[in-house]
Amino acid sequence: MIAGAPVVVELALRFAALSLVAIGGISAILPEIHRVVVDVQGWMTSAEFADLFALAQLAPGPNAMFVSLVGWKVAGLPGALVATAAACGPSSVLCYGFARWAERAQTTRILPVLRRALAPIAIGFILASGYTLAQGADRSPGSLALTAVGAVTLAFTRVNPVWILVAAAIVGAAGLT
Amino acid sequence: MTPPLDDVAPPPAGRHPLDGVTRGALFASFLKMGLLGFGGVLPWARRVVVDERRWFSDREFAETMGLCQVLPGPNVVNLAVIVGSRSHGPLGALLAVTGILFVPIAVMLAMAIFYAEVANHPLARHAIAAASAAAAGLIVGTAVRLFIKARPPLRGVLTGGAAFIGVGVLHWPLVWVALALMAASIAAEWRASA
Repeated sequence: MIAGAPVVVELALRFAALSLVAIGGISAILPEIHRVVVDVQGWMTSAEFADLFALAQLAPGPNAMFVSLVGWKVAGLPGALVATAAACGPSSVLCYGFARWAERAQTTRILPVLRRALAPIAIGFILASGYTLAQGADRSPGSLALTAVGAVTLAFTRVNPVWILVAAAIVGAAGLT
Repeated sequence: MTPPLDDVAPPPAGRHPLDGVTRGALFASFLKMGLLGFGGVLPWARRVVVDERRWFSDREFAETMGLCQVLPGPNVVNLAVIVGSRSHGPLGALLAVTGILFVPIAVMLAMAIFYAEVANHPLARHAIAAASAAAAGLIVGTAVRLFIKARPPLRGVLTGGAAFIGVGVLHWPLVWVALALMAASIAAEWRASA
């Protein structure tokens, strides 16, 4: 943290550092984004964070775009662009280098090792993300039921997740939560 | 968007299908994946890269996605980097990432501006609150699904549990938790693979 640094610099440094440990993608680093933007910086409330996440999921495109929305909320369009570039830039450069290296190198041992080693960490982080979001979301019995239905539907069916969100929004608008 | 016939003709022997791809086709393909990817881009990525453009076989696509999932960063952004760089180097990677990311971002920001206009309306408030409760469930469901697919051994369950508790419950900084667990987990799996 740099005292007095403009908000966009703070955003860039935070997201660039997270970029290289985002195993499992942006879904894995939600608790850290939440910790920084809600708990440490106070840029938004936990409920606003959960709402922005839902909005990003409803829009077409990679769910990584949530970081753009966080940047936008914090510092407008420059914030959106800086957050996106910082969150995706370092990991993209690493991916570029790794893919180049993997074309030549003997990767039959190292890739399965990496997969087995990193998958459990990604799963633990993603579960922590869901837990963080559920705490930020409305906690009425109806909302908790929606969280449970969303989890079960995604885990055990092939329904497109956007329909789960649309159905939940309709249920909410109808005043059933 | 159906690709022109010459794009899908079998390539000459020894030439990868990605060698002859134009920059425009590269950008347009990733733009399509991004803009049509409601609820997740991956199904569209497979459809465009494997079925429509025939840049990768099913097997190549699965192998490449395996690599994208191991590396940090958004999976489909990593896919864009790999496909883009194989056809046009760093510029190709930039074009593909821009297509899949920056145009959908514009759409999403338009939605966010609209939402900010109506956010005080009770109907919109209730709808988005309910959607965010369900969205939390989607992420939990993703973790469950990945766990069932990976079926990790006990040491993997302990590693994942430590990741969850450290970051989700104790709110420790994720970078340090990740680096410590990555080092321990890679060392353990490397030894076990010998």
